Amino acid sequence: MSAPTLLQGVKVLTLEQVHALPWGTAFLADMGAQVIRVESADHLQDRKAGPFPSGKPGEEWWNEGGNLAYFGTRNKQSLCMDVTHPVGKEIFLKMVKQCDIVTDNFRPGTMRRYGFDHESLAAINPRIITLSSTAFGHSGPWSKAGSRARTIDAMCGMSALTGYEGGPSLRASNNYMDHSTGNNVAYALLLALYRRNKTGKGVRIDLTMQETGVSCIGPAILETQHGITRPRLGCAHLWKSPHNVYACAGKDRWIAIAVASNAEWTALKQAMSNPAWAQDARYDVVQSRWQHRHELDKKLTEWTATQDDKALMASLQARGICAGAVLTAADLVNDPHLRQRGFLQDYNREGSATVGVRTYAGRPFRVPGVAMAIWHTARMGEHNNAVLQQVAGLSPGEITALAEQNVLYTRPRTGEKVP
Amino acid sequence: MTNVAMDGILSDIKVLELAHAPSGAFCAKLLADQGADTVKVEPPGSGDQARHEPPFIGGKPHPDRGTAFLAMNTSKRGVTLDVTQPAGRDLFLKLVSAADVVIESFKPGQMGSLGLSYEALKAGNPNVILLSISYFGQYGPYANYEGDDLIAQAMGGYLYAVTGSADKPPMGTALQQMEQTAGRNGVIAIMAALLQREQSGAGCHIDVSVMEAAIATPSGLIHPYSFTGRNPRRGSGDANVMDGMHLPTRDGEVTLTTAGTGGRSMEVWSEFIGELRLLDPKFATRLSRQENWEELRDLVAPKLKEWNNLDLMRETMARGLVIGLVQSPQQVLDSPHLAERGFFVELEHAEAGTLKYPGPGFFFDGVNPMQASRAAPRLGEHNAEIYSGQLGLSNDELSRLYAAYVI
Repeated sequence: MSAPTLLQGVKVLTLEQVHALPWGTAFLADMGAQVIRVESADHLQDRKAGPFPSGKPGEEWWNEGGNLAYFGTRNKQSLCMDVTHPVGKEIFLKMVKQCDIVTDNFRPGTMRRYGFDHESLAAINPRIITLSSTAFGHSGPWSKAGSRARTIDAMCGMSALTGYEGGPSLRASNNYMDHSTGNNVAYALLLALYRRNKTGKGVRIDLTMQETGVSCIGPAILETQHGITRPRLGCAHLWKSPHNVYACAGKDRWIAIAVASNAEWTALKQAMSNPAWAQDARYDVVQSRWQHRHELDKKLTEWTATQDDKALMASLQARGICAGAVLTAADLVNDPHLRQRGFLQDYNREGSATVGVRTYAGRPFRVPGVAMAIWHTARMGEHNNAVLQQVAGLSPGEITALAEQNVLYTRPRTGEKVP
Repeated sequence: MTNVAMDGILSDIKVLELAHAPSGAFCAKLLADQGADTVKVEPPGSGDQARHEPPFIGGKPHPDRGTAFLAMNTSKRGVTLDVTQPAGRDLFLKLVSAADVVIESFKPGQMGSLGLSYEALKAGNPNVILLSISYFGQYGPYANYEGDDLIAQAMGGYLYAVTGSADKPPMGTALQQMEQTAGRNGVIAIMAALLQREQSGAGCHIDVSVMEAAIATPSGLIHPYSFTGRNPRRGSGDANVMDGMHLPTRDGEVTLTTAGTGGRSMEVWSEFIGELRLLDPKFATRLSRQENWEELRDLVAPKLKEWNNLDLMRETMARGLVIGLVQSPQQVLDSPHLAERGFFVELEHAEAGTLKYPGPGFFFDGVNPMQASRAAPRLGEHNAEIYSGQLGLSNDELSRLYAAYVI
């Protein structure tokens, strides 16, 4: 597998850690941009994050984590260079002249301290596109606050809307906000490239996790302006019923069923062989079904509880009823639909026998001509030489000198804590 | 010269949306909010199904006042058109001939049976980009399954593993996040197709699956399982006082972390809330905090109760601690931070009135790209403008189409 040519020639320098920004720049790398991830030997949390083969960090743990292949250094280049060192800083700025995009996810102010803020970079490369992905953005009273994806889940209003029916608020996810933000990063960068093709102009992009999060709850933002409070309903729905998860045979097996219309309810009754309880007139119309949804859910569970979730899904779907088994990761890696669609990628991590072939989720879209697969995972500092020669124009002798000055790394420092 | 603030980055792009699902509507909205000239095509009479989704501004059902519809359809113009009638199909193909991007969310095969396959669209517009967004994709054993957001959460692994509690049934997330995630992936695909078209001159047919968006995007399901053999399961936030639980404050709730402070967070927390017992070794690691979570909660919770959300945020921030206020949508709307940043944009709507809408989550050169947007279209609001103004239909022709329920 090799790189698509869509973004061939586009060079991205990225000072990125953790999740949201690396997820975003990975899309550009998939499309063939040269994404140079500038890493630091001082901050190896992404290389420590795993997951590791059999859950155990191996001898070369810094190149073994699964998140690296899924998004961290996926199709990217790794330049492990200390940019806080005066020489490293000078080289970074030299490379900016040759690059199209610079991205970072430091807290606001850090890039300025390094001399890498948009104004400084635009002064040496007027066509530069910069994107800073932060929790709260470069202005406002919370600008300097730190975050995790789940604190953003809370801050944006999502957690308050999430929870079992009648229960307390719960975070929607540990990392949904990272991924939504990363998707937004990719969109914003592609927009900026598109605009620059037309106008020749660079741009400064200030993108935030919190605001991306709020953009995920648009309806609730409108509702609250008219005093409407959206209840937490778990898997239930504001008006549809039955609409929930129902226990199936086996341990922790479930099926989700979502009935909207009366016709669908009739079909479900037929699927159940028209039991006497289901003939109750209170279940005949949408509104009344919803009002009596708790007892309806209970009755329905009595019917599903003895059945196989996947077989029940197939038989309900054959009758046109909206139903889906609650699938686990183990189900999904073997799912016939996903396999037939080529969605899952069994990718062999070249040069790492301990990792070898593992299965990864693909991209949820197919654009003919733009294969979005993993074809390489950059090892720590793997591209030091290539990048410094090709992009920074350094000679092999200069590069050797840098390594001796402890500006370049290809492995963690001696004594680095094993994750 | 393009002015981002006035025109939007995509102002030279024409989008046609024939989407009956929120995924497609949201995808088109993301393009429209960046200035793409986006026309939403709805069936005459009832319009997009989302128009009938409660709740409604003003309380009573009204096709122009549904909050989900209003939120998912900003910056678009709207026409009514019955594409199942031959006259409607011909009109749609006329609109396609001037479009750059068509977004549809029918079940796979339905566009073809209406005479609107990708090949049929290409006949009148060889460079057109068609994005088909469906629950399970255009092919594969589940392609013809019925879906909705809950089913995508179920089959995408979200329900089993991502939110919810370990001792309770699978639970999902609110407001059709899987549909939205598919839409966000959709615009990435469309931008790729637009850039590709600049190089090759050719359009393409893009296949987006909501189920796959659920697996690929919020997850961490597939490769962790493949690496470790462990099946991720819900409940990772349970019994985690510092790393997941929500705890009450005076006017809301907060979730704590041990992030920030260079690894000294328990010391800083202890000092901040004035509770020396937090320094006990039994609270030193994530695992030991979990083992002693009730005791830890009883030390921390009463202290948090003394704080108002905004004060707590300010003071923890000053100490380098990282917290999350569990904000209600109203608290988000009232947020001084977002107000200062100009995140919300006010849009006027003839039926729903003036409301504040979320921006896209990014600013270009300090400008909120949505500031020049318009509110969602009323049903058929732009029929005359588009059918007479753009396609040049006469009043007689329009009347005949209305009479035949084509528009």
